Amino acid sequence: MPSVGAYVILGAILFAIGLVGFLARRNLIIIFLSTEIMFQGVVINLAAFSRFHHHLEGQAFALFILVIAAVEAGLGLGLVVLLFRRKRTLDAEAWSAMRG
Amino acid sequence: MPESIAYILYGLFAVGGIALYLAMPRPEGGYGKSGALIGLAAIVGLVVLIASSFEVIEPGRELFYILGAVAIFCAGRVVTHPRPVYSVVYFMAVVFCVAVLLVLQQAEFLAVALVLIYAGAILVTYAFVLMLAQQALGALADIKAREPLLAILVSFVAMGAIAGRVSELLAAPPPVEHQSMLAADKTAELDAPPPAQDREEASDTLRLGEQLFGKFVVTVELAGVLLLVAMVGAIAIARKQVPVEHVGPPPPPPGRIGREVPPF
Repeated sequence: MPSVGAYVILGAILFAIGLVGFLARRNLIIIFLSTEIMFQGVVINLAAFSRFHHHLEGQAFALFILVIAAVEAGLGLGLVVLLFRRKRTLDAEAWSAMRG
Repeated sequence: MPESIAYILYGLFAVGGIALYLAMPRPEGGYGKSGALIGLAAIVGLVVLIASSFEVIEPGRELFYILGAVAIFCAGRVVTHPRPVYSVVYFMAVVFCVAVLLVLQQAEFLAVALVLIYAGAILVTYAFVLMLAQQALGALADIKAREPLLAILVSFVAMGAIAGRVSELLAAPPPVEHQSMLAADKTAELDAPPPAQDREEASDTLRLGEQLFGKFVVTVELAGVLLLVAMVGAIAIARKQVPVEHVGPPPPPPGRIGREVPPF
């Protein structure tokens, strides 16, 4: 098997751990941190396939993913600060009234 | 042969899921130690499996195993640590591991960008927000997970699907043009437009830059506009005045605090 398989499995594991954190944790900041772990898994995958195909498009995509991650961190954390100022807690359950 | 490998892989994923479930923070303390031990056992099993069945050709093979194991362990700690500041520190370890793994895959520029952007900018933002939004130590939001069993089931089934499908695909003989990983130099010569003086000059970073500002130039501009919009939006959000609401039970009305005294 080519070496890309091991990297893809590592990326899948990081993605899954991030997904667990995103779904199971209640602290808003940890939820955003978990999405960043998922980004790391995706970046590993993109770099591995970029190398596998001897093509640099994967690395270019990974750079754009970094841009998206920065945008997400800025906006998401701004919203978290706003929500914290309103309820004085980081608990996501405090906003369960939005469930409708 | 590949099927048995896939089943061993699924088994290891299941063990890892159990470990993650045990390590999830619980109000009554939880089983963090045993979860960590089972998780380490699963990671060691994974390393042995990959070392025996996958061919990691590049020279930094041991480095891949060590860094991959450390990255998985630290990612698990990010998700399960009850104190957010430690989560941020563990996440920084994950970022550094991933950066070195990118260097192993000849993505040097990407690795440096990852460290600069994540460790330099994004994580500092997280640390600042953590300091701004101080809540009481050991708040319920940190020590009680929300439906951890369901979350782990969903995530690990997805992971098994991805990994199983990938190992199935890769078990098939690779297409001819991908057969040799060492044929990189041939395609590099085809891709690089200007004939560089020596091989060191025509590095991946140079070609990546040429590609970014040639083929993807519109995307680069769009990314810049997106960053600008996000910056303006973040400032607008952060400056907004909000009324403070109380959570939990409403405070008791004045005059009803303290013990009840029968009327004289």
